[in-house]
Formats: sequence, C-alpha cells, structure tokens
Amino acid sequence: MSLISSPVRIVLALLGASTLFWGSAGTAFSAPSPEEQEARAILLEIDDLWRASSSQGLVRMQVKTANYTRTMRMEIWSQGKEKSLVRIVSPLKEKDTASLKTGNTMYTYLPRTDRTIRLTSGMMMSSWMGSHFTNDDLVKESRLSEDYDPRITFRGNRDTRDIIEFTLLPHRYAAVVWGRIVMTVTAQGHLPLLAAYYDEDNVLARTIYFSEVKKMGGKLLPAVLKVVPTDKPGEYTELVYEDLRFDLDLPESLFSLLELRRR
Amino acid sequence: MQIVSFALRNFNRARTRTWITVGAMAFACAIMIFYASLLEGWLAAMEKNAVGMDLGEFQVHVRGFRDDPDLYKSIGDEEHVLARLKENGFVASPRLYASGLVAAGNASSGVELRGVDLAREKLVTSLDQHVWQGQWLDEQDHGGVVVGRKLARILALKVGDEVVVVAQGADGSTANELFRVRGILQSVAQGVDRSGFFMTSATFRRLMIVPHGVHAIVVKRGVAGEELDIATSRLANLLPGYEVRNWRQLQPVLARLFNMSDISLVIMLLITYAAVGILTLNALLMSIFERIPEFGVMKALGFSPWGIFAMIVVESMLQVTVAAALALGAGLPLALYFGRHPIDFSRFVQSSSTIAGIAFDARWYCVVTVNSVVLPILFLYLVAGLAILYPALKAALLKPLSAIYHR
Repeated sequence: MSLISSPVRIVLALLGASTLFWGSAGTAFSAPSPEEQEARAILLEIDDLWRASSSQGLVRMQVKTANYTRTMRMEIWSQGKEKSLVRIVSPLKEKDTASLKTGNTMYTYLPRTDRTIRLTSGMMMSSWMGSHFTNDDLVKESRLSEDYDPRITFRGNRDTRDIIEFTLLPHRYAAVVWGRIVMTVTAQGHLPLLAAYYDEDNVLARTIYFSEVKKMGGKLLPAVLKVVPTDKPGEYTELVYEDLRFDLDLPESLFSLLELRRR
Repeated sequence: MQIVSFALRNFNRARTRTWITVGAMAFACAIMIFYASLLEGWLAAMEKNAVGMDLGEFQVHVRGFRDDPDLYKSIGDEEHVLARLKENGFVASPRLYASGLVAAGNASSGVELRGVDLAREKLVTSLDQHVWQGQWLDEQDHGGVVVGRKLARILALKVGDEVVVVAQGADGSTANELFRVRGILQSVAQGVDRSGFFMTSATFRRLMIVPHGVHAIVVKRGVAGEELDIATSRLANLLPGYEVRNWRQLQPVLARLFNMSDISLVIMLLITYAAVGILTLNALLMSIFERIPEFGVMKALGFSPWGIFAMIVVESMLQVTVAAALALGAGLPLALYFGRHPIDFSRFVQSSSTIAGIAFDARWYCVVTVNSVVLPILFLYLVAGLAILYPALKAALLKPLSAIYHR
C-alpha cells in the first residue's frame, strides 16, 4: 500500500518528508533507453520539487463521504524522510490529536484520553482521520523506483495543455497493490496534474488531482490535492495547503513522544 | 410358534459358543452406545458454545452487512422489527457492531466493538453466564467493558485494568475513550476470544455517535421444536428486505462438521460391527455345519426350506436381542454416569482450543439421546442380519438325503 499515491504521503512529501514520486529515484537499471532515461529524469525533477530537509505547514483537509462531510485543519512538520508530525488544529472536538511518524512506526496521541497509542499492523488499513487514506499511506515510504518501471506513454496537447503522461508498471515480483499508475505532468515545469491508480485487474481505483499551483516556501507547487475513490461516487478527500515553508531549523525533540503530548 | 421354540432350544445347545457370540456383540454395542453418547455430548457442547454464546439461532441484518460490515449499514426501524418478531413468537435482541483499536500499555490490538442490549441479550444467548473473571456488563457501569479471553492475554489485561478505545465514529471523527475491564469471558469462539470487546449499547452509541439503528438482531425460537429451516423461512417471510440467516448458514463449516459427525458415527458403527458380523457369521456357520444331518432329518420330516431359514434367523435374532439387552444394561449406565461426571481433558488441551472457530470444553460430557442408543442397537440387528444370510440360506437349501449322511 505504499505509494506516493497517498495524498497524505504527499503531505509529508511536501514537507520534504519522503521523496514524492520517485522515492530514492535513480536505482540502477541495466542500460535504460533514452526515453526511459528521460522519464526517470523528469520524475527525479518532480521528486526534487518536493524535497527539503525539513518543512512546516498548515493544511486544510475536507472529507466528503456518503455519510458525512468534515473539514479539519492541521499543522504539519517534517524532518528528513523519516520523521513527521501532524497535529489537528480544528475542529475543537479533535483539537490536539496528533500523529507522529518515525520510520515505519506510527503513534497517535489522543488528548481526550491523554494516551498515546502505537498503531499495530491491524490498524494500518483503517482510514486515517476519517479520510480516504489509510494509516498505512502515511507510514510507508514511497518506493516506486524500486517497484515500478516508468514509461512515457503520451506527450502532447490534452485539454488545451501541453502534458507528458507516464505509465508506471510494477516489476514482475514487486509486492505492490497497484497494477498500474498513470501520471500526468505539465510539459513546462513538470508539475503534476493527475495520478490515476489501477488495481491488479486494471480497474481504476482512485485518482488524485493536483491543482492551484502557487508559490509556497519559495517553490512553485500545486496547493490542492483531491483524492477521488472510483468505487465511491461522490466521495473525495481534498487537501489544501494554506501555508508551507521549507528548510527550517526544527528541533529534534519535536518528533518525540513527549512532544506528541504537548498541548 | 414351533420355530420360536426350536430356536429357543438351539440357543441353549452350544452354550459356550452362544455366549461368546452374544458377549462380543454386547460388548461392541455397549461401547458404541457410550461412544455415540460421547459424540452427542461433544456436539451439544459445540452447539451450545456456537449458538448459545455467540451466534444465536438466527441473525437478521441489512442486506450487504455480512459481506462488508460497516457502521452505516444498520437496521433503522429496529423497534418495529423487534415488535414484529415478538408478535410471531420469536425472542430477539439487537446488537451494535464496529471495528476499532484497543490499547493497553504499549500493546494494542484491533477489536470488534459490540454494543449489547443487556436486558434482551440474555434471552437469546447466555454470554452473561460465561464470564471467566470479573463480572458481566452492568447498565450502571458506563466505563466497564468485557473482553474476550485471548484479547485479554494479548493485551495482558486483568480485571480492573484501563484500556483506550480508538475508532472512527459515525461522523468521521476519532472516537476515543478510556474504559475499565470489568470482566474477561471464558473461551467462546475464535472471533469473540480474539477480538470481542463488549460494552452496553448506551455506551456504544455515545462512543461511536450512533444514536439510532442496530447492526444485527439475534433471534431465538420462542418455543423449541420448530424445525430450523421452517423457522428460518418463516422469519424471512416476516422480515422481507432483510437478510435472515440461521446459525448453520452463518457457520457453514460448523454445520458441515455436525453433518459429518453423524456420518462418522455410522462409519464407526460399521467398522466396529464388521468385526462382530464376522464373528457372528463364523459362529453360525459352525453351528450349521455341526447340524447338517439334523437339518437333513428335519427336511425329511417335512420342514420347508423357508422354515429352516426362519428358524436360524430367529435363533440369531434371539442372540442379538439378548446382546442388545446386555449392551443397554452396560452401555447406558456408563453413558449416564459420564453425563454427570465429565471426562476431563483440560490437562491435555489448551485453554482456548477451537474447532471450526468454536471453543470446545475440555470437560467432556456424555449426552444420551434417542439416536445414541437406538442407532448402535439398530446397526447391530442390521449387521447380524446380514451375517446370518449366508449360513441360513445354506441350511435352507440342503438336500435332505445327502445332508442326513453328511459326515
């Protein structure tokens, strides 16, 4: 379930947490064709777009499901690839609920009970904060470069925009959930526009739309990510970056269990 | 009448042989009565645990809930449904389900949260009687929960310990609350043992923000005796639009195990009795060979082949009847004794052993049923009847003259 797919990971990625599209891109492949090299180079570029030693930001998340619609605002911090912290600012009921990710471990602090819980594997596939992401989406490192091969499948004008489309196919023995990922980026600047995730039966499972490109923390980035699950019509989770700063001098103690409980 | 008196006389002629045959048949039959009662006892205990503790006899859900359980797939008009069931002679209790995470200390585990209607649940299951440590839920104790035995072990929980529950409430918010372990259940069924987390329905509704509706209605026949399948279709007709399942449909593996138990009893009977059958065949063949000249004389005096055949059949059926009486005299008291004093396997069995996901009691009781007594006896008659066919036919078809001079 890893995958950059998750907008949440993208939240973290934006924070400089993990490498967005390409993980630790540039893993050795034997003699790639010029086109493959280009595909990888562009993805590396995208990867670099989100990379930072540390980050801090404010995100608004709107979740719409058949049963409820809710909006949350949260503060996010990240350091390197391994550490990130998300703390809910509103609504009041969940204020100060915080998730800490260090490596592959995830802790959740629950202010109402004043307890910190380490999430077990059984909980990983559950929804994160009622959104369309799983806890697992937050925890797993993106390792697309290790599991998928990129290929440029379209280049040209689509919907009045010059774009480049990549198709990522998993390696033969890769332990991944997606059968295929199709990504679209702008031809100019290589900013992501869309990512479509197909399951093993080649059925579209979810789509992420990137929009509202603006300058944040000195970089030009899409400020809105919208995840739309295919099997639940009308439902979506939308993340809006209200504020984002990169390369800050964050104290190491920020990502500690002690800090998690701070109100 | 003449045939019966001849048969009676013959019964006493070769006493040792007769009594060895009768003894073998009686021993096998007594053992089978005991074995069948033990099997019945085991099945009854399994059924009690599966149906009486967890499943209930029937369950009513909204269509699709069982395939993909979800907090929102609830029965909205539960009071109406419950009233309808009551009018039609069923006993019923609503249940609420959700999945969540429970943490204690550094350990955490996924659980199935269950909201219990305390007053009604005990009408359909006797989970409240099955508490291992501590106490069952109480309406007044809002912070008290009861957990499955294996879950308690995984989280190292004792009665009185504090646990945190985290789940996703119906409004999408993070439901979280501190509870105190009020009771730990005895081993019931795999699911309950491993992830059962019980609270009162009022607490569940508050925690999960589910003000209305229930996820399941557990139903029991008001009067015992109605066939399970008939009652199932009656329920389904009563509640169109809902999914009605009896426990055999809810636990098909268990149902199959039960069906196979009947078959396995029959197979055991046939194997055990095959030996008895061969013994009977041997004894009867011997007694017929010894009496070939005698049969020759009888035939010469006007006895029909049919008469001789009937005499031998009656003769051996007499032996079977005596054996059956003896078997009943020995096997039945044995089974009844172990019906009161269980065979205790607890030293050899883990505390939470399950078969087909259902916990079984390490203390094994015999349960004497009509089946467990009648089947072994019936099969004894059947096998002995088959065994004497050959010797009886042989005697019946003897030629009088050569038989008389047979040496």
